[in-house]
Amino acid sequence: MNRAFFAALESIYPPQRLLTRDVELLPYESDALTAFSAKPGAVVLPVNEAEIVDTVRLCHDHAVPFVARGSGTSLSGGSLPIPEGLTIGLNRLNRIKKLDPQQRIAVVEPGVINLSISEAAQPYGLYYAPDPSSQSICTIGGNIAFNSGGAHCLKYGMTSNHVLGMKVVLADGTVTKFGSESVEGVGIGPDLIGLFVGSEGLFGIALEITVRLMPQPEVYRTVLAAYDDLGRAGDAVSMVVASGLLPGAMEIMDRLAIEAAEASVKAGYPDAEALLIVELEGESIQVNTEFERLQGIIQQSGAFELRVAESEAERTRIWKGRKGAFSAVGRLSPDYIVQDGVVPRSRLGEALLAINALKVKYGLEVANVFHAGDGNLHPLILYDGRAVGALEKAEALAGEILALCINLGGSITGEHGVGMEKRDYLPAMFSEEEIDIMQALRRSIDPREIANRGKMFPGGEAPALKLQGLHPLEKAGVISRE
Amino acid sequence: MATAIEKCVHCGFCLAACPTYSLLGEEMDSPRGRIYLMKNVLEDKLAAEDAQPYIDRCLGCMACVPACPSGVEYGDLLVSYRALQEAERRRPPLDAMARNLVISTLPYPKRFRLAAQAGKLGKALSGALPLPFASMLNLLPDQLPASRPMPPVLPAQGERRGVVALLPGCVQQALAPEINFAAAQVLAANGVEVHNPPDAGCCGSILLHVGAEQQAQEIARRNFIAIPADIDAIITTAAGCGSGIKDYELLFKGQPDAERAIAFSRKVMDFSAYLSTVGMRAPAGFASERRVVYQDACHLLHAQSLHSEPRNLLNQIPNLRLLPIADAGQCCGSAGTYNIDQPALAAELGRRKVESILAVQPDLVVSGNIGCIAQLRQQLQSQPKPPPVMHIAELLWKAYTGSD
Amino acid sequence: MSVNAPRSVTELQAIVRDNERVHVVGNGSKTALHNAHDGAASAELSGMTGIIEYQPSEYTVTLRAGTPVRDLAAALSQQGQYLPCDPLMGASATIGGTVACNLAGSRRYRYGGVRDFILGAEVVDGLGRAFRVGGKVVKNAAGFDLSKFLVGSLGRYAIMTELTFKVFPDAPSFRSLRLDYGPLEEALRAVYFINQSAFELDALDLIPGARGWSLLARLAGYDETLPQRVERFSSAMARETAPLDIEELADSGSLWNPLADLAGGCLVKVALSPKQIPAFEAALAGARRRYSVGGNVAWVATDEVDALDAALQKLALTGLCLRGAVKSAVIGEPIDNVLAQRVKQVLDPYNKFM
Ligand SMILES: Cc1cc2nc3c(=O)[nH]c(=O)nc-3n(C[C@H](O)[C@H](O)[C@H](O)COP(=O)(O)OP(=O)(O)OC[C@H]3O[C@@H](n4cnc5c(N)ncnc54)[C@H](O)[C@@H]3O)c2cc1C
Ligand code: SF4
Ligand code: SF4
Repeated sequence: MNRAFFAALESIYPPQRLLTRDVELLPYESDALTAFSAKPGAVVLPVNEAEIVDTVRLCHDHAVPFVARGSGTSLSGGSLPIPEGLTIGLNRLNRIKKLDPQQRIAVVEPGVINLSISEAAQPYGLYYAPDPSSQSICTIGGNIAFNSGGAHCLKYGMTSNHVLGMKVVLADGTVTKFGSESVEGVGIGPDLIGLFVGSEGLFGIALEITVRLMPQPEVYRTVLAAYDDLGRAGDAVSMVVASGLLPGAMEIMDRLAIEAAEASVKAGYPDAEALLIVELEGESIQVNTEFERLQGIIQQSGAFELRVAESEAERTRIWKGRKGAFSAVGRLSPDYIVQDGVVPRSRLGEALLAINALKVKYGLEVANVFHAGDGNLHPLILYDGRAVGALEKAEALAGEILALCINLGGSITGEHGVGMEKRDYLPAMFSEEEIDIMQALRRSIDPREIANRGKMFPGGEAPALKLQGLHPLEKAGVISRE
Repeated sequence: MATAIEKCVHCGFCLAACPTYSLLGEEMDSPRGRIYLMKNVLEDKLAAEDAQPYIDRCLGCMACVPACPSGVEYGDLLVSYRALQEAERRRPPLDAMARNLVISTLPYPKRFRLAAQAGKLGKALSGALPLPFASMLNLLPDQLPASRPMPPVLPAQGERRGVVALLPGCVQQALAPEINFAAAQVLAANGVEVHNPPDAGCCGSILLHVGAEQQAQEIARRNFIAIPADIDAIITTAAGCGSGIKDYELLFKGQPDAERAIAFSRKVMDFSAYLSTVGMRAPAGFASERRVVYQDACHLLHAQSLHSEPRNLLNQIPNLRLLPIADAGQCCGSAGTYNIDQPALAAELGRRKVESILAVQPDLVVSGNIGCIAQLRQQLQSQPKPPPVMHIAELLWKAYTGSD
Repeated sequence: MSVNAPRSVTELQAIVRDNERVHVVGNGSKTALHNAHDGAASAELSGMTGIIEYQPSEYTVTLRAGTPVRDLAAALSQQGQYLPCDPLMGASATIGGTVACNLAGSRRYRYGGVRDFILGAEVVDGLGRAFRVGGKVVKNAAGFDLSKFLVGSLGRYAIMTELTFKVFPDAPSFRSLRLDYGPLEEALRAVYFINQSAFELDALDLIPGARGWSLLARLAGYDETLPQRVERFSSAMARETAPLDIEELADSGSLWNPLADLAGGCLVKVALSPKQIPAFEAALAGARRRYSVGGNVAWVATDEVDALDAALQKLALTGLCLRGAVKSAVIGEPIDNVLAQRVKQVLDPYNKFM
């Protein structure tokens, strides 16, 4: 970043929205993956589309790398700053520009929080379906970058399946629009939405997004089944699938995750080795019949306890425990790594056994939370950053889990993206030629490779992988952690 | 402190709940950002003065605490951090004077009355105070209301269902004696024997907040003696006292009377929480419909998790219609330090709150905390026909007496 | 024009490398797409057929691009499953052609279109490189998702040789209804009502009739609950949208083939939103048509393509001609996009696929 670049930034942003002092930059050092941190050269906080476009053009002209940031909840280092690069905070572009309940669409700015769309649509009996656990704070822009999804994406898909149109500024400053207000989206011609969504911020910045809304199901029926064996919970999922039912969500938590969630939201979960949450949704008459079948299946599956949410409050409580499970693990362990891998559903059992073996091998605890319906595992590897070498050990374990996912025919990420964290694992999933083609694609859109430089593709220095040791105050004997 | 910092996993879930983040839209003014800044200060990577403006902008509303799945005790962190910084902070002389005035007058109702009447306590004094105490001073009228002495024991009416002591509080006692008066009457009407120990007084948390630990301990100890041990609960009608006394554990850590302090703090209950536990006897209610908004005080809602209790009480009043408002959990910007240090922010929060209140067209507004009452009254002033704002105890008392 | 029928990816790669222009034909069922490609070597994928991997318990199926849609549907239905984007089953439609043209039938209404069910693909690009895009599991967030990009790509960027889809369990039974309305506005109002209701229809089409407009609605589910659901739906519709008549129809495949009544002339697909229908109607001047997917897809059969082209341009809509003699398969608003051009530079820099 040179003087001329700064001067140009100053002509776009008033001082309060151009952050350059240490104290202002520090809080932007990391996203939700705190193992990495890097100080950006500056942070800008645009309030409208034109400012974003001008900023991107400026970055292109000066070859200054930039990263867009929504709420900074990425778990893969996606919004980790580029050292000496520009962080473009989009959280102030948070207007819902249009909501058309008749056509079930909304047009939003990129900084709009996922849940706000559902809140705005609620009076019309509609909602925005993709529900990452972080939905109360993550932004649509971030969701687009990672094609985020959540527990309820089994039936209606992830972010990509709910975006109908978008306006973007490509990394070289070109502004373009694609898609429409039709549920067909692009409809005729290549599906550019499908290409842009999930591109991890490497193509450019989404400026305006048209999303489709769904009618709120008439009823939800949620069951919580408790098992004394994790494998049995996994088998139950296969049984549900085999029965021809299509639940809205199927989630499993293991003992450690249950304990964490219990400590956090007091969901009243049973004391069990594994919990399976299955939720049916839809027209009441249909769902009631499905629900009878489901209960039959769960009973046969060897659950020792079965609870049915009798009210909306009970349902909320069940989900709150599940959705808060990641962060709740912070109560059990000073540090942890959230892993995100996919295996074919039928090989879930195998995967869990193998993870158990890895636990023993590394002497670390792993809590498991997963979207069982689509084989998306979220092992949480607990470690104590104060212990010398613990982080490296945890990372090695995390790496083995990824290798396992690939060997079982799955993927290294289901929803958190490659980001900084997994870029070195990309070659394990794609051939050299495939990665070359992706690189070429990236360069044809972003010749100077400024958009989110250093992410997704292997190679390069990882900025400041933090080796956490004793806290300075601990060393000084001032504090201690229990 | 370190535990709180270490527990933070940087997930950002708290951002959505934080009023300053929603107003300012920058990471430094979010709970996650503040924790990170405090961490960096504690680790000597950042100068405390640099972080100070962002810490100062924190309302202390605690909305981030229930929002945090990781269980970060932001409140403890903030109190300890502020205490730590307070010790090192060099204040401008005027501030220092004001602070001394606070320490020497606020906790002592008689001195406070004198000082207030002598006109010594300008509203500016509140600049030296943290929320939610400072906000009380906004109520400072030109003329203090007549004090409302209460008998040492107000007998229970009908079957006796409980015995409590009513914590008189400090400033509130002088500024709005009608609140405790109403609370005592309502409790008595519900079969609760109410003790008003003459020697009880300020809970001391105000002193703790300005970093005067020793004095805070002394003042608290007086209450240990003044308040009989064989009562069911110690009732407060000010949100700040209720949540402040929870800090006794911190305040008395390592002191010989630590256990006493903890036992005391465990007995403290907010008025509406206690009344909900004993169960309310049906009041007469109102002759015609009253449309009422209940404004959550942050220190009740977030710090003490009181949400349904006060609402259930209000819902039991015949002819009272409780109206839900948008963003009910959002801080009203409750004045005090905030009004003075951050006028723009406080005014904006107040404006938003007033907007959502007026949208439902209430006849009156109630809250469980004098600070919020003060802020709302002030913010509503400019409205053509502002609805009256009162303490929930006052409204309940009206419901019993049938007066309007 | 030379015609080749490669039997393997390697053979296909050779064809691409050895020719200046290559044009892919699934089975040649979309005749309009082939008009403009004289002089190119054509590669027929009819030799590359068959299901490679189908695991009902995984909800995934992988098959060769030349596989007829019918074969896929038959294999899935044996396991009580289906491809919810409801590929149109012309006599010889292939799955590759379905993806390239982004063609989905009326049942796409329930769960989504081709883009929502494609998971991955094997392709041969304009440089003759064979590689995989997307994944094989139902969820994958690694790498750029070029598999979705192929949907609607009209064979201009790469040739698909293998495709992986997500599939779902199908419903055991169906019921269909016709609801008659007067003017278009009333029928649309009924669509909007349904859009905001919790009724979960399997399909919803809007068709012009002699006296006015009708909605065709389909419910899917269990035999034992369908009568009750049909009853609830009809009475809600009767109460809220005042139809002139509601009639239950015999449910059949042809009832739900949106093209069933559109034989003859040039066949055009237009993606639009329900609120664009009135303007589109005004510009159409009475061509035969059916609005599928809750009014989000128009199927038009016309002999006057130029008039339709002009009408589409006026409304900034794009049409895709699937049948008939046309200069260009894409009419109306052009689909050139800078982002698509960038992809083209990478996958087919020499314009082999035009
Ligand atoms: C506790 C916790 C639980 C989570 N649960 C889930 C879950 O269930 N499912 C899931 O999928 N994810 C989950 N996540 C991950 C994270 O919330 C998602 O990846 C989310 O989409 C990130 O949104 P954000 O606004 O925080 O984006 P950021 O972290 O700020 O940015 C993420 C990426 O998006 C890019 N970006 C941001 N805005 C734009 C834009 N307008 N245009 C282009 N690129 C942009 C950034 O450059 C960056 O690469 C979880 C995270 C946490 C901390
Ligand atoms: S919610 Fe809790 S853990 Fe997450 S960032 Fe905020 S304080 Fe930290
Ligand atoms: S106490 Fe309130 S203002 Fe302060 S960080 Fe927490 S939520 Fe924000």
